[in-house]
Amino acid sequence: MTAHSDETKQLRPGLWETVNERYPGSMITKDDFVPLAPLRKPLSESRLTFVSSAGVQPKGTMPFDVVHPVGDYSFRRVPSTSNPSDLEIHQIKYPTHGAVNDLNVIFPIERWQELAAESVIGGLTPNFFSFIGYNMDPERLERTLAEDIAEAVVADGADVALLAPA
Amino acid sequence: MQRAIEHRGIPTVSVTVALDITEHSKPPRAVFVPFMMGHHFGVPYHRELQRQIILEALDHLVKAEWSGEVRFLPITWAQARREGKAIEEAAGRMT
Repeated sequence: MTAHSDETKQLRPGLWETVNERYPGSMITKDDFVPLAPLRKPLSESRLTFVSSAGVQPKGTMPFDVVHPVGDYSFRRVPSTSNPSDLEIHQIKYPTHGAVNDLNVIFPIERWQELAAESVIGGLTPNFFSFIGYNMDPERLERTLAEDIAEAVVADGADVALLAPA
Repeated sequence: MQRAIEHRGIPTVSVTVALDITEHSKPPRAVFVPFMMGHHFGVPYHRELQRQIILEALDHLVKAEWSGEVRFLPITWAQARREGKAIEEAAGRMT
């Protein structure tokens, strides 16, 4: 591969292999696809939620345990009306130099608020949902954290969900 | 995570910078951007780019035809950084 042809490819290739070699069994692999859920109404009438593994949380909430050897399987609710200055990041596994200057590069809460105000989307769920991506037991994540967040997303009345796996 | 939400009847789309992990984990819909980790929506203060990536993801949510479909955006990290730097320099000159 040449540098030129790499420009629209993954900036850091081989992530799955690299992490799985270092921590065998820590990476998720699926053999099948889940059926697509249909949109029930137009986006302009749909309430959107945002789920992020960026470790963003309201100031004053219990910080994620970023040094636990097998990870932190809890999540935080982030009120969708928050200002970026209400929030902070607890994680150690991705570069945050962009996010410390402008949180929207990883948690674009102000863009969501604008799109809702412009009625591009019908609205926002009361909360967004945040956790940390450093979790070494994918089976436990799937059985606990994924189900907990999915239930919370349903309880918050989401019609559509956008996710950003940091 | 994304699969668990889709299983409950809520359409989902993710924005990813790690295409190989996406190919392994097989989410229902994804938009790939060739950006640095932690910068899924671009660079600081570049509101238009942040918005463009969100709108592409929402459009993919509506238009994706099969589970696992990935949309590729025709933008490079170098271009995003150049534009972000220009925005920061312009802001600096105004203050």
